Amino acid sequence: MVREMSAGPSRRRLAGALTALGGVTLLAACAEDAPQDTWQPAGENAQRIQDLQWWVFAIAGAVGLIVFATIAWVSVRYRDRGQPIPRQTHGRPALEIGLTVLPALILVGVAIPTIGTLMDLSRTSDTECVVNVTGQQWWWEVDYPPQEGCGGFSEPIVTSGQMVIPTGTKVLVRGTSRDVIHSWWIPRLNGKRDMVPGRVQTVRLQADRPGIYAGQCTEFCGLSHANMRMEVVALDPADFETWKANQLADYTAPMEGSLAAAGEQVFISQCATCHQVDGLVNADGVPIIAQPQERVFAGAAPNLTNLTTRNTFAGATWDLLTPTCRDDVWNASPEEFGAAYLAGVSADCLNEVDLREWLRNAPAKKPMYADPEQLGPTDGLNRGMPYLALSEAQIDQIIAYLLERQ
Amino acid sequence: MAIIERPVPATSVGPALPTVTPSSSLGVFRRPVAATGWRSWVFTVDHKRLGIMYGVAATFFFVVGGIEALLIRLQLAGPDGTVLSADVYNQMFTMHATSMVFLFAMPMAAAFGNYFLPLQVGARDVAFPRINAFGFWSFLFGAMFVNAGWFLGGAADGGWFMYAPNSGVAYSPSHGIDFWAIGLQITGIASLSGAINLIVTVLNMRTRGMSLMRMPVFTWMILVVQFLLLFAIPVITVALFLLTFQRVFGATFFSVEAGADPLLWQHLFWIFGHPEVYILVLPSFGIVSEVLPVFSKKPLFGYPFVVFSGAAIGFVGWGVWAHHMFASGIGPISVAVFSMSTMAIAVPTGIKIVNWTLTMWGGKLRFTTAMLFAMGLVVEFTIGGLSGVTHSVAPSDTQQTDTYYIVAHFHYVLFGGAVLGFFAGFYYWWPKVFGKCLGERLGKWNFWVMIVGLNLTFGPMHIVGLQGQPRRMYVHTESRAGEGFFNITFWNFAASVGAFIIAISVLLFLINIWHTHRTAPPAPLDPWDARTLEWMTTNPPKAHNFDSVPTVHALDEFFHRKYEDVGEGDEHDLRRVATAEELLAEQEANADHHIHLPSPSYWPVVLAFALPIVGFGVIYNHLIAVVGASIVVLAMFGWALEPSVALDTDYDPPAPDDGPGTELATVGGGRP
Amino acid sequence: MTTTGSKLLIGATVMAVVAAVVYGVIVGGALGTIGLSSAAMGLALLAGVNVYTRDADVSSMDTQAVMAAPAAAAAPGNSMWPIGAAVGGVLLVVGFVTYPVMVVFGVVVLLAATVEWTVQAWSERASGDATFNASLRGRMAHPLEFPVLGAIGLGVVIYSFSRIMLFLSQAGGPAAFATIAALILLVGFVVAFRPTVRSGAVAGVATIALVGLVAGGVAAALEGERELHPHETTGDLGREGQCDTGEETEADENASQTVGAKANLLADIVLHEDGRLEADALGLPGGAGQLVVARNNPTNVRFVNASGEERRLVLDLGTRPAVDENGDVIEDEEVPDQRCTALANEDGNQLLNFTVTEPSASGGPYAFVVPGVDGARVEVVVP
Repeated sequence: MVREMSAGPSRRRLAGALTALGGVTLLAACAEDAPQDTWQPAGENAQRIQDLQWWVFAIAGAVGLIVFATIAWVSVRYRDRGQPIPRQTHGRPALEIGLTVLPALILVGVAIPTIGTLMDLSRTSDTECVVNVTGQQWWWEVDYPPQEGCGGFSEPIVTSGQMVIPTGTKVLVRGTSRDVIHSWWIPRLNGKRDMVPGRVQTVRLQADRPGIYAGQCTEFCGLSHANMRMEVVALDPADFETWKANQLADYTAPMEGSLAAAGEQVFISQCATCHQVDGLVNADGVPIIAQPQERVFAGAAPNLTNLTTRNTFAGATWDLLTPTCRDDVWNASPEEFGAAYLAGVSADCLNEVDLREWLRNAPAKKPMYADPEQLGPTDGLNRGMPYLALSEAQIDQIIAYLLERQ
Repeated sequence: MAIIERPVPATSVGPALPTVTPSSSLGVFRRPVAATGWRSWVFTVDHKRLGIMYGVAATFFFVVGGIEALLIRLQLAGPDGTVLSADVYNQMFTMHATSMVFLFAMPMAAAFGNYFLPLQVGARDVAFPRINAFGFWSFLFGAMFVNAGWFLGGAADGGWFMYAPNSGVAYSPSHGIDFWAIGLQITGIASLSGAINLIVTVLNMRTRGMSLMRMPVFTWMILVVQFLLLFAIPVITVALFLLTFQRVFGATFFSVEAGADPLLWQHLFWIFGHPEVYILVLPSFGIVSEVLPVFSKKPLFGYPFVVFSGAAIGFVGWGVWAHHMFASGIGPISVAVFSMSTMAIAVPTGIKIVNWTLTMWGGKLRFTTAMLFAMGLVVEFTIGGLSGVTHSVAPSDTQQTDTYYIVAHFHYVLFGGAVLGFFAGFYYWWPKVFGKCLGERLGKWNFWVMIVGLNLTFGPMHIVGLQGQPRRMYVHTESRAGEGFFNITFWNFAASVGAFIIAISVLLFLINIWHTHRTAPPAPLDPWDARTLEWMTTNPPKAHNFDSVPTVHALDEFFHRKYEDVGEGDEHDLRRVATAEELLAEQEANADHHIHLPSPSYWPVVLAFALPIVGFGVIYNHLIAVVGASIVVLAMFGWALEPSVALDTDYDPPAPDDGPGTELATVGGGRP
Repeated sequence: MTTTGSKLLIGATVMAVVAAVVYGVIVGGALGTIGLSSAAMGLALLAGVNVYTRDADVSSMDTQAVMAAPAAAAAPGNSMWPIGAAVGGVLLVVGFVTYPVMVVFGVVVLLAATVEWTVQAWSERASGDATFNASLRGRMAHPLEFPVLGAIGLGVVIYSFSRIMLFLSQAGGPAAFATIAALILLVGFVVAFRPTVRSGAVAGVATIALVGLVAGGVAAALEGERELHPHETTGDLGREGQCDTGEETEADENASQTVGAKANLLADIVLHEDGRLEADALGLPGGAGQLVVARNNPTNVRFVNASGEERRLVLDLGTRPAVDENGDVIEDEEVPDQRCTALANEDGNQLLNFTVTEPSASGGPYAFVVPGVDGARVEVVVP
């Protein structure tokens, strides 16, 4: 934060003072920074980076100040006042060598802790729990493989947009991509890592306190790159068990004759081709398996089995909660956060405005590649969700159905 | 025609044969020897005219890239901007970078290099003048080709780094990336031919006494840049070929399903891309190393250190490419190695800053506009360099890469470095090129407005980036903006205001040019009391640069011819012993005879014009490519068959021995 | 001005252009159009040359010149092209009755001789100055000669070298390569540090080296190549239903035995000596009997064969509809759907790249197995 305030030669001294005062104090003190602030670590890994870069920024700032002060002094002291033409000296090698060795030594001092931190942050041997993420245009799929870590998983859980992890646990994120390169970044928990198709990349995450940690895809991934977000939700281990049990609970069909039951039928005819809802069966009682590869180029669509346990949708770009309810969750104290989050999305809290706009015409809300006339290069497959021409009545029914996906 | 009417030399055996002269020849086969009018520009092979044309074209694309930047900043001025659609925004930032890097900064460096390098080494032209013309025209046609996408279904939209697989047809179905890849291929030909040309010029055509260590630093830096180009352009050529084959012919170089790895592209691109950064910034380092000594009345402090640090940057620059890939998952060992090499490159860069500062130390500083821009570079580049050091710390970089912090960093490096250097060069060398000094009053306005704009635009981006706003997003949102001093929305707005302030300063510069050329009196011969050879000739220089090629005895030859140290022992007392006018008169009195200069030619422009035709053919219809390739072959033949010097019959009417002819022909021409 | 001789060529050019356009519009087809366009280009080139040289017809412009023309004054110099053309003709004729490749050689030699002959004849009468004429010939012919000769020379060197390297054994190749490289370096050092070495000596050494290289190449080419292992073709194994066998097949013979520098795989699938098969995935230590694979996602795993015997890894994806030779689906007939690696030799590795489109729930169960090793099995779970 040293450099943004320094300007041209005339403002140098002012800049120096501002930098020293403003940069340091404001940075450390300001508690209402953006949710993706890189200077507010909330876990071990991000803290390691913070401890390292603090010194580097300080050294860089100090060097900068010395250079600016020197130039300022020189330009005042040696301006042309009619003094004689100076001696035509070509330099002093001893001074030159000294001024070469000095920065080299400083950099060696920076390099050593850099390497140490680097190696620690790339370790995968001491992690306690694995979560997989898979990027595709323009959302993240999250799945938990069967394992003993994180309290044990007997069968896989597939969700999207929000990754739920237990606090105080060293989580290893293994990520890849189904189409182009995306990047997984939760600034308050760790640095970013590109998710490259064909490769499995790892990121360590650890959250000290319960809460929501925002992130965003940072590798340019096409049309809606700006609308590809993700959140890590940290719950304390007991709450995490509750969340897990809820995710694995059996499908509850809507009451017959209810609005949601009609919604189920609309969902089956309109949505289930791509979106998996585990436990959903057709009229013959045969489980419905989504076939996203028939409609979507990446071959995947978010699993909606427990949509309203999450509080975002469409690549975590929009909230499923109204602004008030959202604030209640985001600003909840660490003790109350678990309960607030696990309450899911109630009918009162549902952000119907954005959800309805989305269901009415998804590509109009989030730029996607779904114009049937432009699908030649992908053999007619969409990138993103197409326009479905749902009637308002159908949208009501679907929303009623989705509200029960808790 | 030329071939038949060749006179028989007296030494040949047998009776003397009469000269056979054709009655007439088709006009098109005659050399375009006009010294005035548009033909004298289009077909010129004069390095100075080509330099000016490079400069004009680069300035045009600077304005184009600037407008693209303004549109980007308009879109981002507030949250959820609606000025541009996502699709157009993606094209806009891709083409902004492409315009600024390939179509502005590189040709602008070529403009300065072309114009001043031969003058600074005391040569009469570059080594291969027609290749020089070919280079300019293929740059211009390539640049137009890159931008053709705008009018033919959308420009490239994959970012200037064009990462695979997002650059594939499935993810970018318009022809924009095809135009981009092939167009850059064509401008690459320009850079490569220019590089060879200038390298040979420096190595072979220096004047008497100009050893390598007596060359001006600007020439040195241009030489280093040409070597970088010579080795970097082939890499991007390969990469662009792979990309074109992947898109046009269905190859699978980057397809995971076929067992390939998308990271291959990143390695290829950045092995080119990082040296490219030094290609962009070293010419400006050279300019500043000329300007600071002149206005400090002192030689450059530690000349050999500056030269060798430039060369060292040129070498080490090849070993740092993967620092663009710290987040790509290349493994901790690679990251560690590239982290260290990136720190290492900070040392020679630091040496330059130190030497520039110490050049001013103890000097006699005159704060002309050129000097202000040069000092501005030292300050602003230092900011960019130091934020670069924070990136070399790889774990820290994983927080900063692909955020606006990086955008801030490289704009301080490239705007604060390259662009301010170019402006220093404009103000310093304008009287040399156009014979008039740019207005100092407007110039100082230009400088201060630019400095304010630059810091207001790119300074806040540090904040925005550290607050977690990624790059390349067509919208940012209030919900993740935070509150208080570091509010992202506020600082985005500030940056947008800054962008328009920069635009005003560029406008001031253009007004200054217009105003100067309307009202300013001719500049004095040596307005700045300069130090190097290019000032030892008229303003602007004659077609053959020097009437008598000077002999060099020392670094800063011109200065030492003007001043002598009459002090004794440790006392130094520099006294003027000659004026520039006297030195020029002396030179003109001893003018060389038989100055050999190459003649203008059609073929470079014809050959260059055929390249985009091939490009269109590759994209739309391979038959057109065949036609283009045929023109390439024909033009190469025509070029090869053409004598280097125009013959008498090329003049219309054929110039008699003492006829009016042209200046070219009178001074040396190629007349037998 | 259009000269007499060029009228024919200009006319022919126009005809060819018209024909190309007409053909392209009416008949279509790239080959014909390209052919006609090329003919037009060639004819245009000839027409241009003809206009440029005024038909090479001095007499038409200056009647005196017939007497005074250089051609009339100086006898033409020596030329190797008549005999070159003859050799070409003979090769052509002999080729027709013996080997077709000889015909190609004949055509090339004949063509080269004709072009060179033409250029030489034309240049020799350009003026009375032999030096100037020679430079004229150079200007005309060098743009063709240099690239072609350069390409041929390089081609011969590269071809000879490649034959030698292919002839040598796998161990001998690197050794020979190192030796040759060292020799070149040595010679380079000597030349660089002793600028007084005569250029003749350098040329001599280079010639000897070149002759030796070409001779070695010829000898090696006649001797034939060593046994080669081209790149793997295991993709065909699954399609051909050969995954089941633990025996070596033709595809295995042609498959490489190691994995290239592939990093960041989903998992290592390890076959232990006692016949256990385990998936070793990042972050899930201890060797699991189960591997989770994302659906519709191109995935890479590595088969690590620690069993001491040649084995292959097979991904068993159940069955798929059978297809006939034309690729049409045969009704009511299912065949095993498998992907497999090539046979990995003892302590060898193999890469497997695959995509699963159906989840286990509908298409499963899926598993990695090793033919010939009972009980070696890793469940593949596709959520």
